[in-house]
Amino acid sequence: MRIHQYEKLWIVGSMILIVGFIVTITYGSVGLGITMIGDEEETIAPDELNDDEQFGEPRVEQVGENEYAAYVVAQTFIFQPDPIEIPANNEITFYVTSRDVIHGFYVPGTNINAMAIPGQVAELTVEFDEPGEHGLICHEYCGSGHHTMEGLIVVQPEDEFDLTELSAETPDTVTSGEQVQLNATVENGQLEPLETTVNAEIGDQTFQQDLTVDGKSTQNVTFTAESTQLGVGEHDWTVTVDDYEETGSVEVVSNETAAAEGGEES
Amino acid sequence: MTALFVDEYPAEARLVKAAFLSSFIAFGIGALFGIIQALHRTDIFRFIDSIKYYTVLTGHGVFLVIAFTIFFLVGLYQWAVTDSLERGPVDIRFTWFWYGLMAIGSFLAAISILAGFLEQPPMVLGAELRANVLFTFYAPLEANPLYYIGLALFLVGTWLAGIDWFRTWWAWRDENPGKRIPLRTFMVLTTMIMFFLGSIGVIVSILVFILPWSLEITESLNPLLTRTLFWFFGHMIVYFWLLPAYLLWYSVLPKLSGGRLFSDPLARVVFILFVLLSTPVGIHHQYMDPGIAEGFKFIAMTNTMFLLLPSFLTAFTVVASMEHGARQRGGEGRFNWLRALPWRNPAFTGMALAGLIFAFGGFTGIVNAGMNINYLVHNALWIPGHIHAQVGTATALTLMAGSYWLVPQLTGNRLVGRQVALVQVVLWFVGIVFMTNSMFRAGLVGVPRRTAEPQYQGFDYDVGVGSMGELNAQLALGGTLLFISAMLFLVLMLLTVFNNDSEPLVDGTLPPALSGPEDSPQVLDNLRLWFGIAFVLVVLAYALPLAGIVAQSGLFGQDIPPFPVSSEAVIYLEFGLEYVGAFVT
Repeated sequence: MRIHQYEKLWIVGSMILIVGFIVTITYGSVGLGITMIGDEEETIAPDELNDDEQFGEPRVEQVGENEYAAYVVAQTFIFQPDPIEIPANNEITFYVTSRDVIHGFYVPGTNINAMAIPGQVAELTVEFDEPGEHGLICHEYCGSGHHTMEGLIVVQPEDEFDLTELSAETPDTVTSGEQVQLNATVENGQLEPLETTVNAEIGDQTFQQDLTVDGKSTQNVTFTAESTQLGVGEHDWTVTVDDYEETGSVEVVSNETAAAEGGEES
Repeated sequence: MTALFVDEYPAEARLVKAAFLSSFIAFGIGALFGIIQALHRTDIFRFIDSIKYYTVLTGHGVFLVIAFTIFFLVGLYQWAVTDSLERGPVDIRFTWFWYGLMAIGSFLAAISILAGFLEQPPMVLGAELRANVLFTFYAPLEANPLYYIGLALFLVGTWLAGIDWFRTWWAWRDENPGKRIPLRTFMVLTTMIMFFLGSIGVIVSILVFILPWSLEITESLNPLLTRTLFWFFGHMIVYFWLLPAYLLWYSVLPKLSGGRLFSDPLARVVFILFVLLSTPVGIHHQYMDPGIAEGFKFIAMTNTMFLLLPSFLTAFTVVASMEHGARQRGGEGRFNWLRALPWRNPAFTGMALAGLIFAFGGFTGIVNAGMNINYLVHNALWIPGHIHAQVGTATALTLMAGSYWLVPQLTGNRLVGRQVALVQVVLWFVGIVFMTNSMFRAGLVGVPRRTAEPQYQGFDYDVGVGSMGELNAQLALGGTLLFISAMLFLVLMLLTVFNNDSEPLVDGTLPPALSGPEDSPQVLDNLRLWFGIAFVLVVLAYALPLAGIVAQSGLFGQDIPPFPVSSEAVIYLEFGLEYVGAFVT
């Protein structure tokens, strides 16, 4: 076959360019360690998501020192959880699946980019250097409300980030003379023990207790106030742990009222 | 001047004209939908509901990249086979039969899409007549079964067209034993081998999985499997759009430049490379998909990079042919010969500008193919930028320019408004430069594709250079220029068709190449061999990924029900409840 001299040179040049492209991409994968989304994750049927250990309650979880896992469910037309709160300077591995149709998982302006395909779980590990907020959007057409499908990724400073959860409760009403019990539950989702102080107020009474919650565990605290000291009427209460606050109110009712109400009910 | 195509082959010319007519109707509607999108998504002028935007978007895709391109292809290829073999089809009734199938198929798909504009679409085949699923129709989004039936008929018609051209060639071979396949017929046959092989994916996807599922014969499907089968077809199809343009660049452009093709053997090698490599690369559209191992993505990446080779070779041959032509016309100097080219001829200028955009768009394609760089741009507006540079200009502008040369020969009428035609092709070029410039840049800052409203509550795009307003203005301006250009083209075509009492000014003869087929080994014409190798490459690239997907989540998936885009209220309710349920439990 006769090929013109210039054409031969051109072919050689083209091949060098092509091989050069392949080498740079390979360097990105092997040298810089930019891994692709692969098939390492187990599949999961969309109608089993609610019963799944990870995706039943989409959340962020600490899985190692400076390593977190974020389980995200995409569905028409929201992301769960929303917002996704994560610490800066930590390895975050997102596990993304879809409850219904094919969605996208994309943080504009970054290379956080994956498809959320029903039945499949996309796994991608990223790290945010700076605290800040980033939009999260669905970038695959998923139906009539596609353009409204967005979430938020909140990157918090590493030293301010925690996975603490506070819940608290009292009875709605307490009969005068009985004790008012305020139960507070502090959950520590991180691996390190959490050393903190619980502050509480019931009416005009204040309480304080130091507390150590082990990693991945829960502690209960109970504060007790005498209803007679509070007096009959509605009393607000507040519990705070670090930046978390729970509030509510309890009503202290007089003996007569309680008896009358009890009488009506019976 | 030799006899015109219409005088020599009047029966075939009728079919080519019919195919071009279908193509241009689709082009007109698709272009109209294009400008609606350009104005809507930039929030410059919104006169439709954002839900209807997705009807427009589906129509824009199907009418332009399925109907416009492929109807033009079958018309052009019918001309190429007839003219280069100097004979008509074995039985022209068969030829009209496949054209009829394609026309019916596209009509069914079209009405199922356009019904999306109705407030209360009729019930057809047990479901609302709608198809807001875009041209990629990723399940479990579901369209009316009529949409899939229409696409299937269209594909079958295209298959039969290929078989028809093979029959014509076999008949010619018996009459001309020992002769080399004429170049244009060679291009047609290799394109169709590529299409036969690559379209298997989408045909299986529609006929085995999606259509039975939409008719409620099967209850579930595997979304990753149907998606992978689509992309098995989906990258081959972009070369199916492109190769008619290649055929014109190789056969007509050198002649328009005033010379002849530089190398016939290299042209054959280029088309063979497309047969071999255009299908085992489809996974590069799925770099972000879970369920496909990294290794298969790597293989797709390397195959894609080697697919650059035929386009690099084309760049050389086409430019060399143009230079040869320019020197025949008295052009001199290292670059001064460029001035000797026939820039006043809209057919030439359109093709040359299309080639220029193709070269640029090709480099953006290298970015897409780079699997880890792809993370930045996947499903961002960058991707439609690439598509509009390639199929939207390299193909579309070449086809329009080719029409200025070919339609007079098909009708026997002189082209109306040659000066306007020149303005038209330049306008397209300017429009695409504005629009794709905006799309590439917006894509890099993360503006997504395929959305009615890329404006979000929670964040603003971090536009480094320029501003979002400026990007939007460029996109809308470019889209408007493209629309005006498209309408100008259609008006000129219409006027030419009715320009009865005139004589065309074109010369339809195509000179042989400088380096003819006798310079190439006979093996290039062994189509069975190339089909065999291509088949093996496809098996190597796809057998394991497909087996892996089926092994992981089953041939029919895990209880994946249809998700009709029609009954919005029901969907909101159902999934809202499930969402609440998930929190309560």
